[in-house]
Amino acid sequence: MTQNLWMNILLSIGFLAALGTVLSVLLILAEKKILNYGECLIDINDGKKTIPVQGGSSLLSSLSENEIFIPSACGGRGSCAYCKVQVKEGGGMIGPVETPSLSGDEIKNNIRLSCQVKVRSDIFISIPDEIFSVKHFTGKVVHKKPLTHDIIELKIALTKPENIDFTAGQYLQIETREYKGREQVSRAYSLSSVPSDTRSVELIIRKVPEGISTTWVFDHLKEGDPVNFSGPYGDFRLSDTDSPVVFIAGGSGIAPIWSMLRDMKEKGIARTAYYFFGALSQRDLFFLDELRSLEEELGWFTFIPALSHEPDNSGWEGERGLITDVVRRCLPDLNGFEAYLCGSPGMIDACIKVLTESGIPEENIFYDKFA
Amino acid sequence: MKQSPDQSDLMKNFSPSKFSAGGFLGTDTRTIGEIISADLKVLEKNDIEKEALAGTLQSWYDRAKAAMGGETEIAPGVTAMYHEARGKIPSPFRGEGTFEKGDVVLREASSGKEVVLTCLSIHLIRAHGFFQGKGQRFRVDPADIIDIIKRTGTQ
Repeated sequence: MTQNLWMNILLSIGFLAALGTVLSVLLILAEKKILNYGECLIDINDGKKTIPVQGGSSLLSSLSENEIFIPSACGGRGSCAYCKVQVKEGGGMIGPVETPSLSGDEIKNNIRLSCQVKVRSDIFISIPDEIFSVKHFTGKVVHKKPLTHDIIELKIALTKPENIDFTAGQYLQIETREYKGREQVSRAYSLSSVPSDTRSVELIIRKVPEGISTTWVFDHLKEGDPVNFSGPYGDFRLSDTDSPVVFIAGGSGIAPIWSMLRDMKEKGIARTAYYFFGALSQRDLFFLDELRSLEEELGWFTFIPALSHEPDNSGWEGERGLITDVVRRCLPDLNGFEAYLCGSPGMIDACIKVLTESGIPEENIFYDKFA
Repeated sequence: MKQSPDQSDLMKNFSPSKFSAGGFLGTDTRTIGEIISADLKVLEKNDIEKEALAGTLQSWYDRAKAAMGGETEIAPGVTAMYHEARGKIPSPFRGEGTFEKGDVVLREASSGKEVVLTCLSIHLIRAHGFFQGKGQRFRVDPADIIDIIKRTGTQ
């Protein structure tokens, strides 16, 4: 008797689970095959570009099929939250996958995860103009040069297309290859090369323990290997003013600053500039000779390396202490300055506090946060 | 133990993925529920709430982060060092948003024992009592952490 009852319960649960699965599959098939949304238009930036697409796909993939590449790292699963765009009209309701990734302000401003927005009717969106110039590239590794114990410089010569146009401060998304069962992933790295070199790109990469991408770069990628990437992305760039500048970055955060400084030199942009290079100890410093010779060559540039954990008896004669304390000590009055920072969120937040206290309004502090 | 389709789907989020090289379960063969239940028993035995423990870990994390990569002593004999990393990682419990990468390595000088903390691992402890599977670099073994807390009197 009891055995029959349990059997009936199990059969009922099994039946309900099977029914649920069948219904889900039918709904997906109906969405894909039966519902025909026909041709829909994606209007970008108030008519700057209008793309006809077959309705039913995600906004992210519809844009990508038309060679408009929105940054994404999760392959459209709604988990990385990189693919945000402003959907002014036609995006439907915000889905439950999106809400945790959007702030109150973003929801108010109709920011959506483009991978979660289905194009079911004409849709009106707004994206940064820079996105239009994003392309997919293939290249070949020219060198992998160690800069410190955990940082390398990676140089990639472009093979297709053969040229890239970018602004100093922008970044690329490198696509790794599968290795040891790891999935292919895309990760962002700032360009450290100068924009005048259009035939190759350079990146400065720090090894992250168990990082999928950096392990691939450090342990699997070899000179001569092909590499795929997309870009350039981002709006971190030098403003068009004459204001004096303070740059702050350490480790791999030096990449966009190194690009900007050399770009300034090439273009004859002689704005007073200080570069504070924060590191733990001497073994974490690199490009010292290059930066010092830039300082000798350019009357407007001052280079200040600072070490926070250098042994007292090491003979280091430069600045010591946390980079925030060194900036405060060296430049107590920063009225009229602009600041450019690159690094971890903690470093950026601490620097913003010091810089605003020293007289730079927040709107004149520009940064590339590792987030 | 046989798993329901929901559990099996959830397990997929905890496996190695585009975001987590080793996944969240390491070499542990137990289900997520079994891992959580066993770890919460350790907390219960020591009369510690998961929220309070997460609060302590968060304060250690913040102190190490403020040192910008330098080694800092968070308690007698225990140091912490922050390592930056670019990007964000989503919670394996979907719909909880993304968490900044970067980690803090706690190191106990006498035993050489290390525990790695991340924003996500602290969230998983606070929200779900999930300390991650054994053999996973980011597992925060409750017994190890409680041992540090007790010996250093930091809670």
